[in-house]
Amino acid sequence: MIEVNGIRKRYGDFVAVDDVSFSAGAGEVIGFLGPNGAGKTTTMRILTGFLPATDGTASIAGHDIHKAPLEARRATGYLPESPPVYPEMEVRSYLTYVSKLKDVPRAKRREAVDRALERCGLTDVDRRPIGQLSKGYRQRVGIAQAIVHEPQVLILDEPTVGLDPNQILEIRELLASLAASKDGETGHTIVLSTHILAEVEALCRRVILIRQGKKVLDQPLDEITRDGGSLEAVFARLTLRGDVGDEVASGSDAETGAEG
Amino acid sequence: MRHTAAIAGRELRSYFTSPVAYAVLVLFSLLGGFFFVLQLSSFNAAVAFYQQTQQLQALESVNLNDYLIFGFYQLMWLVLLILVPGLTMGLFSSEKANGTEELLLTSPVTIWEIVLGKYLAAAAMVTILTAVLAALTGIVFFYGDPEPLQTAAGLAGVWLVGLAYAAVGSFTSSVTRSPLIAFFFSVFLLFILFMLGPAADMGMAGATGSEADGVLRVLRWLSSEGHFNELTTGLVDTRALAYFGFIIGVFLLLTKASFESVRWR
Ligand SMILES: Nc1ncnc2c1ncn2[C@@H]1O[C@H](COP(=O)(O)OP(=O)(O)O)[C@@H](O)[C@H]1O
Ligand SMILES: [Mg+2]
Repeated sequence: MIEVNGIRKRYGDFVAVDDVSFSAGAGEVIGFLGPNGAGKTTTMRILTGFLPATDGTASIAGHDIHKAPLEARRATGYLPESPPVYPEMEVRSYLTYVSKLKDVPRAKRREAVDRALERCGLTDVDRRPIGQLSKGYRQRVGIAQAIVHEPQVLILDEPTVGLDPNQILEIRELLASLAASKDGETGHTIVLSTHILAEVEALCRRVILIRQGKKVLDQPLDEITRDGGSLEAVFARLTLRGDVGDEVASGSDAETGAEG
Repeated sequence: MRHTAAIAGRELRSYFTSPVAYAVLVLFSLLGGFFFVLQLSSFNAAVAFYQQTQQLQALESVNLNDYLIFGFYQLMWLVLLILVPGLTMGLFSSEKANGTEELLLTSPVTIWEIVLGKYLAAAAMVTILTAVLAALTGIVFFYGDPEPLQTAAGLAGVWLVGLAYAAVGSFTSSVTRSPLIAFFFSVFLLFILFMLGPAADMGMAGATGSEADGVLRVLRWLSSEGHFNELTTGLVDTRALAYFGFIIGVFLLLTKASFESVRWR
């Protein structure tokens, strides 16, 4: 469903993502782990077509992201670090707008919006301006816009960052329901970035760990924990070694998120 | 282009759910009414003066179109120079500030669809302003009988100028995430664009040599002032149309390049 081949991204002289490759089969849920500044957001922006890669190729649902960008984007749902919402719009009209952008056929739009509202628990607030919603609800709207066109692939960038513990649990349950297969159909293929290890343990079957732009681990979670090992120990061993110098830079990312 | 309508529609609705559209409409109508009354009374004063002093030749020259409507449109053209940047300042800058830029650029939508959708929304607002102006002008037709064709050409001139301003404003909105900066930047650019002509005239007066002459001619052509004056006097010629088409095209191209430039960095 997702094929990534030697993706590299340079910002000027700085290499943010360095020769990352991985693949994900249909219905797989992958935890994309790494310390701040590791290159998670950059990788996701490349996969969703927001940024072009400097080198390398990738395809989503069989569509090359550089050669067939529109088809690849149609097959992708994306939740950026901060939910991409217009505060003055009502939830329902926002989702209807997104469904138009994502090419949901006119006859199916209402149904698609209703379903996204229901799955994200937004049915009761569908006429409220998004700016008036709590942070947790705004995040649900962000997830609803990612799934409204029923994409095969979901790319979620730190979906629980900045939420309180209750909201985190709610969002986690929501993500688990999106990952689960339903009525014989496979669930969404999900790539989920985070630096909260418990989240990975709760949701993901496989872990990809990147550090300073390079992939340092790609393993099923049960293999990691099989011999009494823990994700914490692996994370610490692979990320704390050497310098972890890029933290300042992704601090600015977090600021951008807080503004919206 | 099917996404263009969706983007334009959202933009228009957001104009009317925020105070922007109402503020611009109210200001435009108030200033329009004020300048209209001003032109009207100055027109009346001129007529009365020439009648009293029996300057019949001068009286001939003070007709409704040249004196009243033309003068009025010139003032409104300056009003637009401030108000259109108010309409366009948030077009792209607020997408950057909201983070919705990421939604647009990761949707199966082309950059042209985005740029045109947003531009069309601003163009629709300019059209509404022109309609307000047409309504005010209608009063003159009760009052006397101006040349309808000449008046229509003048209105078309105001509309075209507004459309060109909106293209310039779209561009300035795409270079920053701050609507305020976008606003001042477009007022500044529009002022420069206007002043090119008078500046070139001053230069021409002192210029010698055909090379300098050529440059000044180009500057003169690039200036919005001359083309606008032609149109408001009722001369719709293809050169003026080409000029406004050129400005709109160039600035929409710049807008597109600037909006997708996140991808080059
Ligand atoms: N637009 C940009 N220009 C320059 N450097 C950037 C840009 N975006 C991200 N970076 C840098 O790339 C590195 C990876 O950032 P990012 O992908 O946001 O990491 P993560 O999401 O894992 O925290 C960081 O060091 C960051 O400073
Ligand atoms: Mg990040």
